Amino acid sequence: MADSLICCRGLSKAYGQRMALQGVDLDLGRGRIVGLLGPNGSGKTTLIKILCGLLRPTQGVVTVDGQAPGPYTKSIVSYLPDRMYFAAWMKATDLFDLFADFYEDFDRQKAMDMCRSLGVDPGDQIKTMSKGTKEKVQLVLVMARKAQLYLLDEPIAGVDPAARDFIMNTILTNYNEAGTVLISTHLISDIERVLDEVVFLQSGRVILHNSVDNIREQEGKSVDALFREMFRAMPMEGGRF
Amino acid sequence: MLGKLLKYDFRSVSREYMLLWPACLVIALVMRFTIFSRLDNVTNDLLANITNVLTVFTYVAVLVAMFIITLLFIIQRFYKGILGSEGYLMNTLPVKPWQLVTSKLICAMVLLLVSTAVAGLSVFLMIPISLQDILQVDFAVLWDRLMEVFPSFLLLVAELVLCSLVGTVASITQLYFSMALGNLFGKNRLIGSIVSYVGISMALNILYTVATTLLSISAAYYQELWNRDPVLLLHGIIWFAILSSAVLAVIFFFGTTYILKNKLNLE
Repeated sequence: MADSLICCRGLSKAYGQRMALQGVDLDLGRGRIVGLLGPNGSGKTTLIKILCGLLRPTQGVVTVDGQAPGPYTKSIVSYLPDRMYFAAWMKATDLFDLFADFYEDFDRQKAMDMCRSLGVDPGDQIKTMSKGTKEKVQLVLVMARKAQLYLLDEPIAGVDPAARDFIMNTILTNYNEAGTVLISTHLISDIERVLDEVVFLQSGRVILHNSVDNIREQEGKSVDALFREMFRAMPMEGGRF
Repeated sequence: MLGKLLKYDFRSVSREYMLLWPACLVIALVMRFTIFSRLDNVTNDLLANITNVLTVFTYVAVLVAMFIITLLFIIQRFYKGILGSEGYLMNTLPVKPWQLVTSKLICAMVLLLVSTAVAGLSVFLMIPISLQDILQVDFAVLWDRLMEVFPSFLLLVAELVLCSLVGTVASITQLYFSMALGNLFGKNRLIGSIVSYVGISMALNILYTVATTLLSISAAYYQELWNRDPVLLLHGIIWFAILSSAVLAVIFFFGTTYILKNKLNLE
């Protein structure tokens, strides 16, 4: 077992001319809840997609539990994408079958229980479900695994504030405590209370990586306030005309 | 893992085929007892004629649907299922890219083969030949006669079957490879896939034209081969087709898995 769960060295990703990530060095340990924070287009989704093996970096190395992204890392990573990945023919139970077949750490009973508490009927055809219900099904799939690393890309962006707490509670009461949860979002105040540490991304660079306790101690302010302060100046710079 | 992938690939199309295959056979049977049983006493009954036309129309529609759906499945299950949003699920499963592609390929081949078999069987069901008539034919004599005239008949049939199988695999993997290449085109993936497909087809055409032009320099030599042993020449041509398709299939397959492994770029 490698010391740090996630290790990035000089990680860069270019989409054509545009750099989505530039020389990211990052180490994340185990058993942490980490906020990956940054404005839109700062590279959050790109970093997560590299970690789960959906994208290859242009430069640099990345390892998860000591290995480059591949079948092994995919077996210990539970990924919640920022979009729907369902096929038209599927019911939620078909997806439970699929997850049970491919992921040894998938707990079917837990998935059924979570569906019940979230008010989702797993026997329903997915295409007939509302957007919110579909999101819940994907959340159930992700959190019913006892994964080493949970990569949650904007899990609360699409839902109303009341549902956000509900989703955050679902995440917190179900994740594997020996594993690490990496949550990307720009809605910091909603999740600040649960975070152990934060990573600030800006224009593809890590500009801050610290524990929430340290930030409160050293800066004397909340992560949300710090975030607003660090990113508020941005649009003004180019706006002096 | 491959077995598990196959299970879901088959599940994703089972509904369509569980309807189409039986429908094709049932309609063929209906035609046997309506249209083909009355061939000798042609009816003037308008209603019967309309029903016949409708039956034939439905049969042809089902046949066409069967093959179009198979072609669409081959393209769409790969394009949407691996390179589209479903790719977020499939590409994060703990499997290797070659397993994803192989599963799609096997599923496609099985669907094509069974559809072809069903189409063949439906024609057989449609025509009112009784089993008795067939059994009256003396197959032993027929077989002996065939072997006498054409001793390598079985070999030739086997070669033709192999040739069409390998050729089909090459065609399917060409579609996959084109879509994988299209995935590299950034925002214009669909156009990229089509351009790749047309480009590869044109390149292959040019290659074949050049190759045949070069070979036809020695047309006299082929004439001589033909005069000496036409069957041997036939075998030679089929094996050339088999081997060239096999080479293409291998290039397309590994080209596809290389892109999925090293260049995957989902939107």
